[in-house]
Amino acid sequence: MAETRGGRPVSASQRPTGGDKAVATQKKQYFRRKKVCRFCVEKIDDINYKDVKMLHAFVAERGKIVPRRISGVCAPHQRRLMDAIKKARNIALLPFAASY
Amino acid sequence: MNRIYEELFIVKPDAPEEEVDQFVEQLQTQLKTSGATVDKVEKWGKRKLAYRVDKYREGSYVLLQVTAAPEMVKELERRLRVSDLVLKFLTVRIDETLKRLEKRKKERDKRAAKRAERAPVTAPAQPSLAQQMTEAPGVPGMPKEG
Repeated sequence: MAETRGGRPVSASQRPTGGDKAVATQKKQYFRRKKVCRFCVEKIDDINYKDVKMLHAFVAERGKIVPRRISGVCAPHQRRLMDAIKKARNIALLPFAASY
Repeated sequence: MNRIYEELFIVKPDAPEEEVDQFVEQLQTQLKTSGATVDKVEKWGKRKLAYRVDKYREGSYVLLQVTAAPEMVKELERRLRVSDLVLKFLTVRIDETLKRLEKRKKERDKRAAKRAERAPVTAPAQPSLAQQMTEAPGVPGMPKEG
């Protein structure tokens, strides 16, 4: 571990992409499906605040932003997503806090 | 230096159509006389608001895309703030975003072209892929919700 820090990432599993949960741990033998960033896979460059339908997928029932450990979105895209959601909230396209 | 802005604002739902049109027209003429260019005017019509604004549960959205200097936008915002018709507005500067997207798209296209070059055996399949690349990341428009 110590020898790779600071240098270039050696293997893909060491890159901090997040959601690399498919690597089965030695002790517990459960398997989680590998999460992938939807924006990377579908090659969506633009995360626009006006695209309410798309943003809705990344907002929980109560209007909270879904954390990326759950949604699997990569860090750069999560950042843009956050910006978009906050803009959309500002102009009443998305709720700050949804009521039931 | 002029920048590209997007101005999205919500008009009261009970305002008469003509009045809204007139108001938008007024904004446009004001912008034009101050030296800005209005690139796009989009009316989304009535939409439900995500939360209550000034006791209104719905509102009609209007989107303006303007190439203007910062002072002009300031004036535009002042007008929107003063107007009784407008519930809420949001100004977003988009020229840098557009530039970024353009760059990304170019990179994508280049990579696609390279891939097509590298695999000439499957040549007939490649043009369509390149076409997809150029078509897919289009200009962001209205929300697809309708």
